[in-house]
Amino acid sequence: MTVTEVTAEELPPFVRADGPDKVTGSGRYTADLTLTGMLHAAFRYADVSHARITKLDVSAAREMPGVLAVITDADVPDVHYTPVIADRTLFARDVVRFEGEILAAVAATTPEIARAAAAAIVFEFEPLPVVSDLEAAMADSAPLVHENWDGYEISGDTIRDRNVATFSALTKGDAAAAMASADVVVSSRYVADASHAAPIEPRAIVAQWEGNKVTIWTSTQVPYDARDGVCETLQLPSNQVRIIVPHLGGGFGGKCGFHFEAHIAALAKAAKRPVKLVFSRYEEFMAPDRRREGMIVDITTGVTTDGTIVAREAWLAIDNGAYMADAAFFPQLAAMHVAGPYKIPALQIDANLVYTNHQPSGSVRAPTAPQGCWAVESHTDELAAAVGMTPVDFRRKNLVATGDEGPVGQTYDEIGLLECLELAVTSAGDESALGENEALGVAVGWWPSFAVPAGAYAKMQGDGSVQVITGAQECGTGAVMTLRQIAADELGIEPTSVELVYQDTAAAPQGPGATGSQTLLNHGRAVERAAREIAQQLKELAADRLEAAPADIVLSGGVAAVTGTPAVSIPLSELAAEAAGGDLLLGSASAPVPEYPTLQGSQCVGDQGVASWLAPQFSCHVAKVRIDPDTGVARVLEVHAAHDNGTIINPIGAHGQVEGGILMGIGQALTEGTQYGEDGKQRNAAMLEYKLQTIADAPAITTQFVEIFTPDAGPRGSKGLAEAPNVATAAAVSNAIAKVAGQRVRQLPMTAERVWTAMQSSSDEGGAA
Amino acid sequence: MSMTIASSVDEVLAAMAAGAQPIAGGTDLVVGARAGKAPLPEVLVAVDRVPELATVEVGDTSTRIGSGVTHAQLMEDVAVVHRFTAIADAAALVGSPATRNVGTLGGNVMNGSPAMDTGAPLVVLGAEAELTTTNGSRRVSMNELWVGPGRTSAAADEFCTALVIPNPPAASGSAYVRLEYRRAMEIAVVGAAAAVTLDGDSIASVRVALTAVAPTILEVAGLDALVGTSYHEPEMELVATAAGEQATPISDLRASDAYRRHTIGVMARRAVEAAVRRAQGEQISVPVNRALGIGAAS
Repeated sequence: MTVTEVTAEELPPFVRADGPDKVTGSGRYTADLTLTGMLHAAFRYADVSHARITKLDVSAAREMPGVLAVITDADVPDVHYTPVIADRTLFARDVVRFEGEILAAVAATTPEIARAAAAAIVFEFEPLPVVSDLEAAMADSAPLVHENWDGYEISGDTIRDRNVATFSALTKGDAAAAMASADVVVSSRYVADASHAAPIEPRAIVAQWEGNKVTIWTSTQVPYDARDGVCETLQLPSNQVRIIVPHLGGGFGGKCGFHFEAHIAALAKAAKRPVKLVFSRYEEFMAPDRRREGMIVDITTGVTTDGTIVAREAWLAIDNGAYMADAAFFPQLAAMHVAGPYKIPALQIDANLVYTNHQPSGSVRAPTAPQGCWAVESHTDELAAAVGMTPVDFRRKNLVATGDEGPVGQTYDEIGLLECLELAVTSAGDESALGENEALGVAVGWWPSFAVPAGAYAKMQGDGSVQVITGAQECGTGAVMTLRQIAADELGIEPTSVELVYQDTAAAPQGPGATGSQTLLNHGRAVERAAREIAQQLKELAADRLEAAPADIVLSGGVAAVTGTPAVSIPLSELAAEAAGGDLLLGSASAPVPEYPTLQGSQCVGDQGVASWLAPQFSCHVAKVRIDPDTGVARVLEVHAAHDNGTIINPIGAHGQVEGGILMGIGQALTEGTQYGEDGKQRNAAMLEYKLQTIADAPAITTQFVEIFTPDAGPRGSKGLAEAPNVATAAAVSNAIAKVAGQRVRQLPMTAERVWTAMQSSSDEGGAA
Repeated sequence: MSMTIASSVDEVLAAMAAGAQPIAGGTDLVVGARAGKAPLPEVLVAVDRVPELATVEVGDTSTRIGSGVTHAQLMEDVAVVHRFTAIADAAALVGSPATRNVGTLGGNVMNGSPAMDTGAPLVVLGAEAELTTTNGSRRVSMNELWVGPGRTSAAADEFCTALVIPNPPAASGSAYVRLEYRRAMEIAVVGAAAAVTLDGDSIASVRVALTAVAPTILEVAGLDALVGTSYHEPEMELVATAAGEQATPISDLRASDAYRRHTIGVMARRAVEAAVRRAQGEQISVPVNRALGIGAAS
């Protein structure tokens, strides 16, 4: 184990090949594309949360000059889709279940005509009762969001009941009996509002048919998922659909999954012209099946007087929204976060994913984690207070360490969580040095590593330059650029000599794309192997020329040399030129998926939500917060982060990920929350009213990495790092706010008004200090 | 749709006499049109390239700030920062550097939003709007100008050429303080401006106006009790109470009426305090929100 602490000035330079294009404006995003004869698309949305369609008449729209196609459910194949529970059609059929449900799509010669035609579509409906409140949705008397769900195709062992889409339980030991033996029992309720990924680029799609093949340029994080969605819904074979992703203006999970590519492809086919869709900011908030889920956490923990946790019971309700996006495993994920990285001998956590008439929920950066961690880590400070311990000492006593057993029976290999705690706390300094109305809040978090298949090709060209062809996707993080470094290191060349060919399903082998912190973890393993194949070929060529054994050849600094005799060497470019006239230097690899540990205690679709803890990523964040006691406005002044994410391969990228995750976490903590009206519709679907943090709000951030070589995970002992930094910040901010306010703020985001309101309450609920 | 680019005030007035509507930075008009609030007017006259509108002229008794002066100019102009500091405080909080570089004082005033940041400072500093047509000019007080949310008493052909503000006497200070949930790209949840003149250690005159708690910028009445005091705790409480009582806030996405009613008092109290300190000669940098309290840089 090593601890890495480097300042920004000391970080090695690393070239982001996509950087200059993006900064100078010469790069092309999907919305920048224009094709000959291209039309513009507009959707007609239901704009009502729950209703039965009584009339949908597109005839007036079809007759408008400049309109070349209007399509509805009647114009596409009869397919119910989405993973796990096939509860959805491309266009509304009979019943609409959230405001962003698409009734029809229009293609016209200008965006203005398309929007006017969409507005001219006659839509009449009979209102149905809106299911908006999460607890009310679970009542026996609640109206059903999906009345006929018996008829939906379901994959896996899904436990469901009325509006509960999936249920999962973590069970370890006899929690009730253990709870009865506790000296102190603390119960808390925490409620998190829904929030958004809010990428800076609203999504855009361009589709063009040539014969029976369609090419779709789209702002997706997951080109293969997008392709599979088009194939499934339009009933096309894989090799007739090609997805290309131009530069992507951020994703944060919001552009994962399959979204609107099929709608635009179907529209282009009907119009017999290329068609382009560009979302407005309002649509980007309202229509995608990706938002961060609202959540209720009821949590009870029993401890002994010496501060040892003996039992935990919890009940969770998670807002799935109207349709299944990818949230089926969220109950498992959320349960793991509410268990937390603690030694707890007896656990019973029941987690429900609940249908409502809201926008569907889906994987936004570290789904369920910021809210789950916020709840459990706020609760942990309450526990510490209840037994008279400091928050840090209570965690020292109860956190999991190397060799301990986690919530699902998995025993941990070497992990660095306790080291993260000590590093972050030490970095934050002494609480006695704090100013008035300031406090430090501590929180720990964890995040899984999702191991899935991925492939890569590599080729060294005649001049010694290298192309890596990967299904990885750049979504703003720069993680794909680490793939260049991995290939370069294998081949002993500079990363700048490696070009990535990516974001095109026709070129690259299958891979998960930019989702679930998998770029390095999964694509990295494939790239490493593909580059290694070329390295082996180079070593054999060099061995021939240098009269040595291939095993004695070292590739470094652009040359192949004999081990121990660096003077005996040959430039790789010379070998590459030789190969170009004979056996080409090509590598291809499919990275095998690491084995999952044996698990116990969950019932739900698959076990991805718990099994993926095979190489858990750990973190501790300490937030220094100041509160204006007169207004409740909180400001995060400093965040001290320490992370165990395995080996760090690209330090500057790693620091960037942590800093971005923290800033996003502060937004979730303080200002980012979706407000719903009684009608189930979003009230603040706009940048003015949905308040992201700005760079002016950014705190000073220190980041340290506890580097532990993690076998059987990512390349070179690495894990992912995209989501882990987004887990613990809101919880750390919560614990600092509670110290200053003297009260817990039990709803997320902890807005100024909520903080102020809590401070007006006279009784201290305990656990604040 | 047509747009004329004017290079002089006369060209602006001629175009408006013919029915054109003025556009300066477009930060309200264009953004509003793109958001579907109201379509762009059919006939526009661009006023952003009229040099005579972009000047600050300090006269013997008053200062004339051209309607085309941008927020970026206001926050750095020496005359504005020293004499009418509350306007600089407000200008520095508007939007982003991009908004401040194109958005103008005249545009902000004539847009007439009760959440406008420069409005309360103009009221407490006793500013008048100079409204001009091809037939001449007239001056109206800010309270006469604003008649409702987004509505002014100006006639369709009247163009706001300048804001004219009496030069403050010695020992005067002003400040604008705003409640903000984040430190950039923010809109006033509530805000308050104060202008104070001292006589020795005690207050000789004080005016306070409030942002975003009524259909228009609201001047707080009944502060006479402060005159002759040196603004300590009881007087601060009086300001806060008066502001809270006179405000008629709404509940919306940004805050509840109760929270607005409370925080407007806090802002009013702080605005007067900062204005007093400036009147005493203390250098509090612009904007107050970044110099003092929770929003402070350190």
